[in-house]
Amino acid sequence: MSKLLNLALGILAAIGGFVDIGDLVFNTAAGATFGYQLMWVIPIGVIGIIVYSEMCGRVAAVSGKAVFDTVRERAGFKAGLYALIASEVVNLLTLAAEIGGVAIVLQLLSGLDYRVLLPLAIVALAVVMWTIKLDWIERIFGYGGLALLVFAVAAVKSGPDWVKVGNGFIPHLAQNNPWLYLYFVIGLLGAAMTPYEVYFYSSGGVEDRWTPKDIGLNRANAIVGYGLGGFLSLALMIVGGAVFLRHGINPEHLGTIALGAEEPLGKAGLLFALVGILFAVGGASIDTVFSGAYNLAQYLGWEWGRYRHPAGAPRFALTWLVLLVAALAIVITGVDPVMLTEYAVIFSAVALPLTYIPILLVANDREYMGTNRNGRLANVLGVVYLVVIMVIAVAAIPLMIITNVGQN
Amino acid sequence: MAKIHIGKNVLDHQLLDKDGRRCGNVDDLGLEDDVVVAIYSGPGVWPQRAGLLGRVAGWIGGSQRIRIPWEEVAKVDSAVHLKRTAPEYGLGRGDDRLRPYFERIPGADR
Repeated sequence: MSKLLNLALGILAAIGGFVDIGDLVFNTAAGATFGYQLMWVIPIGVIGIIVYSEMCGRVAAVSGKAVFDTVRERAGFKAGLYALIASEVVNLLTLAAEIGGVAIVLQLLSGLDYRVLLPLAIVALAVVMWTIKLDWIERIFGYGGLALLVFAVAAVKSGPDWVKVGNGFIPHLAQNNPWLYLYFVIGLLGAAMTPYEVYFYSSGGVEDRWTPKDIGLNRANAIVGYGLGGFLSLALMIVGGAVFLRHGINPEHLGTIALGAEEPLGKAGLLFALVGILFAVGGASIDTVFSGAYNLAQYLGWEWGRYRHPAGAPRFALTWLVLLVAALAIVITGVDPVMLTEYAVIFSAVALPLTYIPILLVANDREYMGTNRNGRLANVLGVVYLVVIMVIAVAAIPLMIITNVGQN
Repeated sequence: MAKIHIGKNVLDHQLLDKDGRRCGNVDDLGLEDDVVVAIYSGPGVWPQRAGLLGRVAGWIGGSQRIRIPWEEVAKVDSAVHLKRTAPEYGLGRGDDRLRPYFERIPGADR
């Protein structure tokens, strides 16, 4: 019974923890620009993250290796180093965007100055990470993030045209402004399949000492957690279409996204949305910064671990402290976090193949994986998504230039 | 020791000391007449592995290079296990140097 309860609690935390600033920005903006025409992209992204999370979770359970262990082993020192640098740059951009998001929400809640709140937010995150055990951090931020479910209520209350919503699940190309449409396709996929999620997931599996017995748990976690998280993405897009598109508003500020819950639900809706965004984005900051430290430590063979106290893995702890300061240095310049998010998501689309190819190779390795290596379904999906990811990686930057980062 | 593929099972793998501590990766192998006689680890080895980028990374890392005779390898599974503790080889020095500073900050040993 307690095992079931734990699973349920874990899944709740995963739903709250799935949505980060990239999902918030791209899903809402896609709805506000194209209505429900991009709904079909969300399940594709969610299945992609499930396929690769399940795969790297299984690798962690069977071989005890996290993603960057396998990158180093399979890609070797040199190609691995390029993958490391790319992942660290993307992670840092993502982290800076998330921290900017935390400060924006704190500003809306407190009325204090954004640039004063930025260092305060960094210090608060560092103190939380230094002193609180990570399973507790995950629970606190995961449950807090559940307040985002207010968007599901808002989506229903805002009275969308459900026939149009349903039609949105049929893949098609928009007639007006197809380049911008394609830019959003890539952004939505990039936001759903953000690389730090796989780094964090697999390293967590290693730290929780998963064994082949946990393969079922891993599968359930990946499918249910990410699946229900994707449900929130759908809600955000519906709100974007039903509230923002109707009023001709383009949510360019993170606070505007929260207003999407205020229109149908009033002040309480707004408050829930802000609290949900605060916890979701705060939790994502912690996942992202840990991922950056995991990757470096695994690539270099250092001691690492969130369950290890800072004195037990000093270089790991120093790495995440340095990353927090570097992220602060980026956002304190006043660069817009929503803009930063768009860059982070598009560049992460470019870096995706470097992460996913080694996972696919190791998950097929008979010697490591034995009978737990990829079955036919995992391989067919894995290869299909690899092709999708390659296309995205090639198209991402040209589309970003053509559409002027989604501005026209 | 069972037959192992040196390029695939040893190079670029995790080094663990006798207490299971993660203490670096196998950055290079020392060969004599096609027989592995030693493992090399540390930033001083990186320039050989990745050209200019490796030189920059090695310089940032402090250019230290540690040689571990192959006889010191206890076993090879998904990691390479060593017979003694990390400090006896000079491995994991970065963590050991940093630790005293971190221990002074409250909460570091929770």
